[in-house]
This record gives sequence, C-alpha cells and structure tokens, in this order.
Amino acid sequence: MSTAAQRVEYLRELGRFDDAEREARTALAAEPQDATLLVALAAVLLGAGRHAEGLAAADAATAAAPQDERVHRLRGLLLSYMGRHHEAVQAGYTAVSLAPEEPYAATGYARVLQRAGRLTDAMTVAHRLVALAPNSAASHFLLADVASDLGDRRTARASYAEVLRLDPQHAAARHDLAVLDARSHRPARALAGLVDAGTMDPSMPQVLQTVTAVLWQLSWRLRMWLAVATVIAVFSGSGTEPSWSARITAAAILLASAALAWLTVRDLPAGTRPVVRAALRTDGPLRFTWIATGVCLAVYAVVAVTGLRVLVVIVWLALALLGWLTLGVRIVRSARRRG
Amino acid sequence: MLSARTNVSKVECVPLKLAESHRIGILDPMPDDALLTSLLSAVEAAPGDVPLRLHVAELLADRGRLPEALAHCTQAITHDAANPAALALLHRLTSAISTPEPPVFDWTSAEEQVADIEPPEFAHVEDPAPAPTIEDIERPTVTLADVGGMEQVKERLELAFLGPMRNPQLAKAFGKTLAGGLLLYGPPGCGKTFLARAVAGELGARFYNVGISDVLDMYVGASERNLSQIFDAARRNAPCVLFLDEIDALGQKRSHLAHSTSMRNVVNQLLSEMDSLGGAGDGVFVLGATNHPWDVDNALRRPGRFDRMLLVLPPDAAARASILRYHLRDRPVAQIDVDKIVRATEHFSGADLAHVCTTAAERGLAASMRAGQLRPLTTADLEAAVREIRPSTGPWFSTARTVTAFGNADGSYDDLAAYLRKNKKL
Ligand SMILES: Nc1ncnc2c1ncn2[C@@H]1O[C@H](COP(=O)(O)OP(=O)(O)OP(=O)(O)O)[C@@H](O)[C@H]1O
Ligand SMILES: [Mg+2]
Repeated sequence: MSTAAQRVEYLRELGRFDDAEREARTALAAEPQDATLLVALAAVLLGAGRHAEGLAAADAATAAAPQDERVHRLRGLLLSYMGRHHEAVQAGYTAVSLAPEEPYAATGYARVLQRAGRLTDAMTVAHRLVALAPNSAASHFLLADVASDLGDRRTARASYAEVLRLDPQHAAARHDLAVLDARSHRPARALAGLVDAGTMDPSMPQVLQTVTAVLWQLSWRLRMWLAVATVIAVFSGSGTEPSWSARITAAAILLASAALAWLTVRDLPAGTRPVVRAALRTDGPLRFTWIATGVCLAVYAVVAVTGLRVLVVIVWLALALLGWLTLGVRIVRSARRRG
Repeated sequence: MLSARTNVSKVECVPLKLAESHRIGILDPMPDDALLTSLLSAVEAAPGDVPLRLHVAELLADRGRLPEALAHCTQAITHDAANPAALALLHRLTSAISTPEPPVFDWTSAEEQVADIEPPEFAHVEDPAPAPTIEDIERPTVTLADVGGMEQVKERLELAFLGPMRNPQLAKAFGKTLAGGLLLYGPPGCGKTFLARAVAGELGARFYNVGISDVLDMYVGASERNLSQIFDAARRNAPCVLFLDEIDALGQKRSHLAHSTSMRNVVNQLLSEMDSLGGAGDGVFVLGATNHPWDVDNALRRPGRFDRMLLVLPPDAAARASILRYHLRDRPVAQIDVDKIVRATEHFSGADLAHVCTTAAERGLAASMRAGQLRPLTTADLEAAVREIRPSTGPWFSTARTVTAFGNADGSYDDLAAYLRKNKKL
C-alpha cells in the first residue's frame, strides 16, 4: 500500500473523515486511477455517511481494478446503505467469489444480505465468517447481530458472550446484549448491561437512547402492577368512611411495591444513578410518567395513613392519563421516525 | 412504552469509533470527483486541447468552482481566440461571478485574485494557525495577555502549571511535583492550541508542536523521527513546551486499536517517554490537547503522565470580542458594533467566529465587486453572517453529556458536568 493510502486508512481509523478525505483527494490528484486510494476514499465516505459520493469513488475503483475484491465489497455496502439492495447483494457476491477466503469480503456480504432482509442467507455467511476467522471478535459480533435479527436469541447470546470473551472492552457487543435482555423482558439486567457499555465507551450516543427505552419499559411494568393493585384495592371493600381494611390493603400494596423495586434495583451497578438521571433529562414525557407514578405511590401512602379508600380514584385517573400520554407519545414518535 | 424499546436500533455495523467521530467532525463537502480529477490531469498532459479544456471548465463551473473554470476558459481562448463556445462560456462565467450571490463561490481564491488590486487588506484572511511540523520549534511571541477573556482558564493554568514552573523551590516545599503533563480538552476550535502557544510564550520557553501529521508519519514509518527523538529534541531545546496536539490520535485507547500494531506501539512509546521525563529538571513541560479525552488511553491519564485536565470552553464574551477584533484587524471595516455581535454569538467557537468574519468579508467583497469600488464591512454584514452560521460545538456537547453520565465516576469531568448543568440547552 502506498504511504498516502496508509495515511488515509489511519485517519479513517481515527475517525477523522474530513482529514482522510482531503489526504485521499490530494493523492488522487496525482494518481487519479490508483485503485487502493479510490477504495480508501470510498471507505472514508462510507464512514462519513456520504454514500452517493462514496459510490462514485468505488465505481471509479471498479474501472481501475475490476478484480479487486475490496472494490466490490465497498460498492456492496454503499449500495446497501443507499437502499439499492439488489445491486448491493450482487456486488457482495462478486466480492466473495473473487476472494472466498477473505474474512472482510464475507463480512461485507453478510451485512449486505442482512440489510436486504435475507437473514437466513446472512446467517449462513456469518457462520462461514466465524469458520474463516474464529479468533476475531468482529466475526462473532456479526453472527450475534444476524442471529438476534433472526430471533435466534440463544445463538445471539452465546455469540455476544464470545465477543466479550475475545474483547472484554467491546462496548457495542455489551450494548446489543443489553438490547437482547430488554427484548427478553429483563429490564433490570438490560440497564446494568447498558451502564457497563457506557462505561466502556462513554462517547457512544446510542447507549443513552437505549437506557431511555428501558426506562419506558420499567415504567410500563410499574404501571401495570399499580393497575392490578388498584383493582384489588377497589374491590377489597367499599364506603367513603376511613376503614382499617383500606389501610391494610394500601400498606400491603406499598410493601409489595417496595419489594418489587428492591428486586429490580438490587443488582444494578453503582454508576446507574447518574445515567438514569441523564436519560430522564433527555425525555420529558418519560420524566413526567415517573413523577406521576411516584404521586400514585404517595396516594397509597396517604390511604394507608388515613384509611380513606376513595382517594384511590386519583390513582385510577392518573394511570388512565398516563396510558393516554404513552399512547400519544408512541404515535408521535413512530410517525416522526418514519417521516 | 414498548415500541420505543423494540425499535431501538442496534449499534450499527460501522466501527464504533467511526460512528462517533462522524457526529463530531464537521465535514466540508468538496465538490470534486474522480472524473474531474482525471480530466484535470488530462488537460495538464495536453494543454493545447481546446475542446477538452472547455469541457473541464464546464464541469468546474457546474461544481461552482468558478475561478478555476474561468482560468481554464481564458487558457482556451489564448489557444483559440475565436472559439464561439469558449466565448460563450467566458460570458456565462463572468456574469455568474458578478451576480450578487453565486451558489458556491470559491471566495478564498477570489480574495487572492483581488489581493493585487486592493492592497494587503485581504492578504491575511487565512486562519492564522499554521500547519505544524516538527521542524518548527518556535519561540512564540504570544502570551496569556493575548488570550482574550477566559479568566478562569488562565487562573487555573497559573495555579496548576505556570506558578509551579516559575517557582520550582516553592512548589517543592509544598511537595508539588512538576512531573506530568497538563491535558487541555474541550470542543473543537475553542483555543486549546492557541493557549498552549501562549503558555510557552509566558514561560519564555520554546514551543515544540507535535501534530497529527507528525503522528501519521510515525504510523506509516515515513519519517525517521519517532517519539523518543521528539522528546530528545525537546530536551536539547530546553526550556521547552512540548505540545502534543490531538493527543487522542497519539494516545488512542489501545483497545480501539485492535488491528493496528504500529498505532499501539506508538501509544506504548508515548507512555514510556512520559515516564522518562524528570519534572522541571529537564526543562521540558508537556502539554497535551484533545477534543476527545474519553478516547485517550487510561494509562496516559495516570499520575506522572497527563494527570491533570483543564477544560477549555467556547470563548466567553471578552474572548469573543478579542477574537472578532483579531479577525477583522486587516479587513476594511466601518464602525462595527462588536458588542452586538458578541451578544449574538454565544456558544460560538473561535473557529466559528473566524468563519463569521470570513463570511461577512465575502458579502463585503461581493458588494464591492458589484459596486466596482471598495465597500467596507458593516455590522449588518456580520449579523447576516451570524444568522447563516450555526455554532459547531453542539455535537461535542451532546457527546459530552453522555460522557459525564457514564464516565465521571472519578470526578475528572466535574468541570464539564457543572458547565452542562448551567447550560441545560446545550
Ligand atoms: N481567547 C481567545 N483569544 C483570542 N483568540 C482566540 C481565543 N480563543 C480562540 N482564539 C482563536 O480561535 C482560533 C481557534 O483556536 P485553536 O486553533 O487554538 O483551537 P483548538 O481548540 O486548538 O481547536 P482544534 O480542536 O480544532 O484543534 C485560533 O485562531 C485562535 O486565534
Ligand atoms: Mg488545536
């Protein structure tokens, strides 16, 4: 590899895409047909998310070195990010045909298949990749990722564990494993994993977003429990007079809530609190939901003291309001994501 | 809310480091492509080929590179004075250049072009920070007095660094060791490099700037110079401030460098060089700067190495005023209300302010070209430029928010956390 191309690669690896691009373009001015430089430039533009421009560079590289596997691999990835899945898969296939033993080619092909929705094929290629490079964390990470998309949680979990064994600081694997925990309805475990992932690489922006999602999940659980408890409280007696049965029911609900909360938080790492606070700060409706849920618990505390069962109506109203709010937020956000 | 959870996208396959720095980097689009590049070299090979040259000029014009297009067009006309296509293009280009606001216009070269006409006024428009190379062990003339505002940073520098350097005996009496460096960190373009140079000036020491391009040379083995030679040279030139700019590149977390042995070797070398420095006795003071201290290998932050961090925030009002004055000093200006601009540019970095001034100068230049005579810059030009430019520090602060949430267990980002609490909207 020429020195210039090496410099471009290093700059890309450091995430300095604009410097890398400048370096590549300067070198290309002297040697416009240098395939290695063109590939390096395409990789930089892929990293920078400038897919159309990257594709132009990759196309130029194809003309210069049609037998070079990297060219087709990059073209495939770029096309895939541009949503041109059919061509992307073709390019990826060309890459693996040219270099059947090359792990990077297999990685590219698997990614392209995965993004095209051909998960079973992607899985096959991922297994092949693991066979080609069994000691690379990246291979197992890819397999885990595809397996988790495919809903094969057992393979996914085992592969994430393997990634973390090979590279204990692999923050993305830690994060994605936590996502898997959240999907398996283990929010507390997910939260602990996310705090870990964030500590490994605090500059990864996705982690805080996932924490927010897990907090929504937790709040939903808490509200479900409160709804059940409120039904019990309403049907366990009647009347507007203070009563001991109301006091006892409310106290029991509070105790059960405390026990549930303790079960949830007892295994959380020490650094969880600032993370939760930061996540709540980024999401207003979530913050409101938690505050309102806290108010519901406070109402039960009042009932436990005064014995006034009618106050439970407040909890009902609050839970109903929160239900509508959650629904509204969900609709607005998924519309925004699509639009 | 379940949908939020199930839709959480898994971390993308793009290597993480890339995904992250992508958010921080300001990518300036270069309207360039492989076709054009190859055509340009074809033109060089065949300077007399008029149709080819015209084609290139057309392409350049399409990409908004009007001055270059114009140059090729005039070349073509010198070869074939009567060529109707060339004349038509010339007409098109000249009228495009004189229209009020051409879409993309290479103002830097335009300003270079008028440099002869309108003496030195526009000659120094470039950013004053030169590309550092190892050869320039310089004696900086700037001191902290040249740094506008930023009183807190100056005070911390004085207490933590300059004071002990000036009074080694006193520092020793209090058991303060002079070994170890100081790491400046903060959003891009907010004066870290500038401050380091001023510190050297303040100490009357030489300034040895090791930048990213030196580091790359080390990686690719393109230069004989390696870190130990750099440290040796610094010792020979003592008293000397050895400034390791962009230390995140030099001292990248080794876990991030799984594939790159040569990069990891450089980190290890840096660790041992830092340990070899014997405090003030050597007369070498190490300063580092980075936008991403969280990417710096933890081993580099241990005692005796970069054990102190200093947050350099976007310039405060006084600093902004002095930066604006600096960038306007050689430009034709007419009674500019600097305070008004200062108030409108909170959270702007030093580099953003330079950008504001350049943009305003472009407007002034355009107006002057239209009027056929020099029209000095006005407050309105600057205000219009401020409206066009968004502060570039936003992405940095959003990363910083995550970092303070996850990575501040040891309190090393307390300053940053406090600033973020005060500026909730950032
Ligand atoms: N307080 C200040 N007084 C005068 N000029 C300043 C001040 N702060 C910044 N500047 C100017 O801002 C410009 C950018 O500063 P500098 O290059 O030092 O930033 P940096 O933090 O090193 O940026 P980067 O992260 O991009 O390396 C410089 O040209 C400098 O002159
Ligand atoms: Mg700098």
